[in-house]
Amino acid sequence: MKAKIFSTILIFGLLVTSCDLSEEPYGFYSEANFYKTAEDAEVSLLYAYNTLNFIEYSRAIFYIGELASETCDVKSGEAYGSQDLNDWKADANNETLTMYFKYCYIGINRANAVIDNVENSTFNDDAKKKLIGEAHFLRAYHYFNLVRVFGLVPIQKHMVKTVAQTSPAMAENLTEIYDLISSDLKIAERFLDVNRVVGRADKVAAQAFLAKSYLTIASSIESGVPGYTEMNKEAEIMYDSAAYYADKVLNDQTEYALDTDLLHIYDINAPDGPEHIFIMSMDRTGDSEGEYSKIGMMFHPWVAGTPYYIKNTDGTLTYATYGWEVYKTTTAFYDSYSDIDKRKSDLLVTEVYNANGDVVGKLGTNFTYAFPRKYVDPEFVGQKSSARPYLMRFSEVALIYAEAAGPTTQGYYWLNEIRERAGLGEADPNLGQADFRNAVVQERAWELAFEGQRLFDLRRKAIVTTTDPKAQAAGITEAEAAYYPIPQLEIDLNPNVSGK
Amino acid sequence: MRKRVLKRWQLVGAIIFFATLITSPVFSQQVVAKGVVKTNDGQVLPGATVMVKGTMVGTATTADGQFEIKAQYGDTLQVSFMGYITEEVPVTGVFAEVTLNEETITMADVVVIGYGVVKKSDLTGSVSNIKVDALKTIPANSIDGLLQGRSAGLQVIQSSDDPGSSATVRVRGGSSIYGSNAPLLVVDGFPMGDAGNLKQINPSDIETTQILKDASASAIYGSRGANGVIVITTKKAKDGTTRVSFKQQTTISQFSSKLNIWRNPVLMAQLNNEDRINAGYEPLFVGETYSNGVYYPSVEEIASGEWPYYTEWDKVVFRDKPVSNNTTLSINSGNEKTSFNLSVNYFDDKGVYIKDNYKKGIVNLGVNHKVFDFLTINTSNIISKGFRNYNSGLAYYRNPLWPVYNADGTYFLAGDTDYTHPLALTNLVKNQTNSMDFISMWQADVKLSSTLTLKSQLNYKYGTYVNDKYYPKKYTETGVNNNGAASIGNWLGQDIVSETYLTWDKKLGEIHKFTAMAGFSYNTSMSRSSSLSAYDFVNESTGNENMASGNPEKNELSNSYAESTLVSFLGRINYSLRDKYLMTFTMRSDGSTKFGENNKWALFPSGAISWKAHEEEFIKEMNIFDELKFRLSYGISGNQGISPYQTLSRYGIEEYYTNGTWVTAIGPGYVSGYTGDDYRFRVWSGIPNEDLRWETTAQTDFGVDMAFLKNRLQVTFDVYVKNTYDLLRQTLLPPSSGYDVMWVNDGEIQNKGFEFTLTGDIIHGNDYDFSATLIYSRNRNKVVGLGDEISSGLNTDVLTGMKYKFWGSTLSTFSAYPNLLAIGQPVNVIYGYKVDGIIQSEGEGLAAGLTGDLAQPGEFKYLDISGDGEFSDDDRAIIGDPNPDFIMSLSLNGRYKNFEAEIFLNGVFGNDIIYQNRWGGQANTMPLRWTQDNPNNDYPSLRQNRKYYFSDWYVKDGSYVRIQNVSLAYNFKSEKVKWLNELKLFVNAANLYTFTKFKGYDPEVGTNGIYWGGYPKLRRWTLGLDVTF
Repeated sequence: MKAKIFSTILIFGLLVTSCDLSEEPYGFYSEANFYKTAEDAEVSLLYAYNTLNFIEYSRAIFYIGELASETCDVKSGEAYGSQDLNDWKADANNETLTMYFKYCYIGINRANAVIDNVENSTFNDDAKKKLIGEAHFLRAYHYFNLVRVFGLVPIQKHMVKTVAQTSPAMAENLTEIYDLISSDLKIAERFLDVNRVVGRADKVAAQAFLAKSYLTIASSIESGVPGYTEMNKEAEIMYDSAAYYADKVLNDQTEYALDTDLLHIYDINAPDGPEHIFIMSMDRTGDSEGEYSKIGMMFHPWVAGTPYYIKNTDGTLTYATYGWEVYKTTTAFYDSYSDIDKRKSDLLVTEVYNANGDVVGKLGTNFTYAFPRKYVDPEFVGQKSSARPYLMRFSEVALIYAEAAGPTTQGYYWLNEIRERAGLGEADPNLGQADFRNAVVQERAWELAFEGQRLFDLRRKAIVTTTDPKAQAAGITEAEAAYYPIPQLEIDLNPNVSGK
Repeated sequence: MRKRVLKRWQLVGAIIFFATLITSPVFSQQVVAKGVVKTNDGQVLPGATVMVKGTMVGTATTADGQFEIKAQYGDTLQVSFMGYITEEVPVTGVFAEVTLNEETITMADVVVIGYGVVKKSDLTGSVSNIKVDALKTIPANSIDGLLQGRSAGLQVIQSSDDPGSSATVRVRGGSSIYGSNAPLLVVDGFPMGDAGNLKQINPSDIETTQILKDASASAIYGSRGANGVIVITTKKAKDGTTRVSFKQQTTISQFSSKLNIWRNPVLMAQLNNEDRINAGYEPLFVGETYSNGVYYPSVEEIASGEWPYYTEWDKVVFRDKPVSNNTTLSINSGNEKTSFNLSVNYFDDKGVYIKDNYKKGIVNLGVNHKVFDFLTINTSNIISKGFRNYNSGLAYYRNPLWPVYNADGTYFLAGDTDYTHPLALTNLVKNQTNSMDFISMWQADVKLSSTLTLKSQLNYKYGTYVNDKYYPKKYTETGVNNNGAASIGNWLGQDIVSETYLTWDKKLGEIHKFTAMAGFSYNTSMSRSSSLSAYDFVNESTGNENMASGNPEKNELSNSYAESTLVSFLGRINYSLRDKYLMTFTMRSDGSTKFGENNKWALFPSGAISWKAHEEEFIKEMNIFDELKFRLSYGISGNQGISPYQTLSRYGIEEYYTNGTWVTAIGPGYVSGYTGDDYRFRVWSGIPNEDLRWETTAQTDFGVDMAFLKNRLQVTFDVYVKNTYDLLRQTLLPPSSGYDVMWVNDGEIQNKGFEFTLTGDIIHGNDYDFSATLIYSRNRNKVVGLGDEISSGLNTDVLTGMKYKFWGSTLSTFSAYPNLLAIGQPVNVIYGYKVDGIIQSEGEGLAAGLTGDLAQPGEFKYLDISGDGEFSDDDRAIIGDPNPDFIMSLSLNGRYKNFEAEIFLNGVFGNDIIYQNRWGGQANTMPLRWTQDNPNNDYPSLRQNRKYYFSDWYVKDGSYVRIQNVSLAYNFKSEKVKWLNELKLFVNAANLYTFTKFKGYDPEVGTNGIYWGGYPKLRRWTLGLDVTF
């Protein structure tokens, strides 16, 4: 009998020892098994970059930056809140804005993950500097987008690892956000070298965005944009800082320069052209939109629902996909170009051809608007193309410098460089400071058209309602046009935001 | 002094048991005791066991029932035989004649519950015992579908007749949203997972099936018991004579209703033209080549017969009368020590579509060996191999004006994007699955003493399948887009369950009786899969046989792995006082790797009391009840809705294009799903929730069992309330977290219901028998809570204030979700607009608040139920409920001499069907359209570009009563032919007729009520033969 009891006890005893219920991740990466090497950190940095590409983020560049300005109108029936953006009726439930907000934070979280994990690592210093530098750049980039679209937003400085961290506190004021942006960009500027890689940022990109963010502060203060006027910053100092960093880009490096050939800037096979300081990385060999691009299809007209050809200045033809005509150039904006402006004659298409050079589509007959040829991939595969959004061009830095420096010799020099490339004559040499700056902003409208920039220029100059007829029709004030509301979802779910 | 030490049995690294027994017989005054063993009808009984009581000395009777055994005077001989009551005789030195009486307690009186059996009369919980014999004349891939209508509280839906298709099984309603709602299937003590497709077990190998419904019965299965448990016991080897049996079933299938297809191509073309013209499109059938390069004949050409083609695609696509076969051969043999059963089954199921096939073979070998008097080893090993060639869903509704072939013998295609040519798909697409399952069960029973037994089980299940696919460059969308697409998908899964429990049976006098059970269980499951895809083939003659011949740059690989472990301690006490008052307490403690770090262990208690009132004198004196038993139970069980690794942080993997090449990128957050219109937006997950745990169901059951008229009328009814809380759901996170959702436990669902079973043994005679069983079940399901309104993203119904969210599948016709999860409403309740007939004049339309196209004559008259003067999202309301009000079945069994017959009726009442194909190019409704000349109030006009809003026009009553089965059997029984044990010939008609108002093919649709069309339900005629030697 003892033996029986003994055997029974033994059975139970054996069991108790096998009670380890901890779970190890299998076949996926997790906190437990990642960030062990610099290579891990490197691919996680690419993960952070890749946030830019998701259609929730990359399409919003145009849904927000162009539709909410005078340059483009949206196709009727286009969803995702684009009608309301176009008509200046977007509210806190706008789908595109909600997505944009979220993807900024996804990008921030991914950048924070790199920063948090690399700072305390034992990787070698060169690797650490590069990783941390680029991660800080990306974090600043997303906050810069957030502050320009929404104004005050919550601040998340560390990777979200627990439920408790999912409700970050609101920034106290714009100064807090911009201080984070400039300190991040300065870290990037200090840690990074000039090193061009398509789809990644380097020292020059950091300098360019420093210049751009200072210019945004400066002009916003000057224009009396709410929030900015309460910042403890002087507009002139901010202009000087913008000019300082823009000058570094224009004169302290040799990797990037103005592209003398206007069409070559938009040659999608030359993303490493002289202009491209920061450009999104997409390729037609990708599997899903974001990996590849459909931006061309968003701008191009349908015509006959089949691909067509576009004529180049030298008479040759470039193959192009048909499109869904979602972003439609307004007639007023098209007409705002001078007829001798090459950015009109060469970059806005009014006729399309077949392979033999016969006209198969004409503005006013087969399509209703002149469409930009900034996103034409002649080697498109089905709906897949390599057309990439331009995130920072050398030309923009030239115009940032001009605007910041004002009507100085150098200011005129860079403004005229841009004008002359477009086939326009020199700008009026006798402009006062304000008129000169306005002229530069107008030049930006033409030069950077369809690149997702216009709304932010209108906002920082407080000219939204006077420029976009849709904003005027909506009857909103300039103060109301300055920011979109924080998404309702954030207000509802984040007690640290709703409490404000 | 002899000592026997048992071997330690060790299998696959798990301990089965140790046991040691010491016996010490005394050698003195030996005699040889002789005798004969007979049955009570005078037959000699070979193979009976004769033991000297208290020793290990034993023998078996010879072929003529004789035995000789060494014993001593005063010893007692124990004579036993399976199925007979053990007799004891003293050793007196005279020739003993021992008569064994048949045991009256048969399998039918014992109910297999989890970790033990209990006499049916001693049940305290709600357990249904299904008479499986009645099901065996119906050929089936698995038992699951056959259970339809056979138990109160059990809902079985078999909405597909495709070969090898599975069934949806529910016990007392669904209690989970994201977790499984299927009951746990337990075969011979081996938990196999969700019920629905127990394809590994040949239905004719099944001995008994029990449904554990209330918490007292199911809580012993702890975190897997909340959906009820189906306990299946397979036939075991029996000692005794050798039996060989052969079973053959041949089935012929036919459609039970007419196909809804165009038989009048002139009308079809006319109506198609009308449909397009009304939409402002160019008509197609005008005798011109359309932009897709296809010539569409004009109506005149078709009518005059000038157009030479008319194809009856149903004749191309469907088999004329598919014939299926199901053959089982089994051998059952044994002696007093060892017995075995071997069963071989071949099941060949031909689908109604050509080349749509399923074949399966099962070999089942069971061995039972009595190692010692106190130790029995039992094993059962099943190998099942299946093959499925998928060719279902072919376009029998294809345009009859298209020929099958072009003049050159190639397949005729209506344009480059015609991907539905049935013969091209049949002959050129490859889609088949080979599967193999292996189940091995080992069991040891140790009788430690007269009151204590130990049972140890080691179960192993291994399953694997390989899916081969090839989509050719032409004829298929996938193939065309990828220039040929090939794939191989592999899956394998494994379960190991080791369970050991002790059972203590003790009677203290005639008053107290205890049965106590305690044990543990260790269960580990693993599954892994891999998939290879290759695209862009230069030469496709090898299909997917040589994947390396695709374009290597386009190859795709994926694989996955998941593992989980469940450790449990369990126990049960049954106490019976004076055989009148019964009590049961069960307890199970489950620890699972799947649960969050802070909630690894769960406790599931239950208790039940029962009063056998018929044992009371005052009831006996009434002389009405043969049985009157009251049962009351309460308990808690769980549902493991969580997948492995769901509580851990998880990173995602993406591809980033840099430096001219794609580089793998990894970081926090992964895409767990897609949302929004056409699923374009990603859902980000990956934040760990260390608190995540099981879903908990608390159930109260009250039942009464009654029997009258010498047990010939039996009534059982049960009422129950099941509250499931801690429902898993995904909570929304603030967008600024960089994540979308995280799994949490909140939300609550209630199921309550009433069940009723009435069995009448109406006529019982020598030549005639007639009995009937009526089963009624009613379940009311209600979503009580869905957690915090904001974080679960609930919408508010403007009119009623009801909080809801859409869920389930979208319907493409309407781009809308028809089903809701709504607080206070049943799961899947149907939500949409309301339609009041058809608009007859524009004035009527405008008056109804409709504008533009919607206000035109011939349009649906949508109701402005919000009364705000315009037709908008606010005008939606609950317009139906796919959950039945009640389900009911009636089985009538009769016998006349050697003839046996069963008629089985099954009915579902009060459920609504989403009849999404009621309109839209349907041959049966298109001609009924509204026109100016023939206005009506039932169907809209034809207008191809109409935007359809999901409305009650598409919701139809799905009640039905089906003559599910009619079987007639003849038993040849002849006293003269001794070698023939049984010979039975039978015919069975399944799905003979359905009474319903529903106009689609068949009202038996899934739990969400969505009708998908498909093809008519099959009526199956089976001719069968059972022979046993």
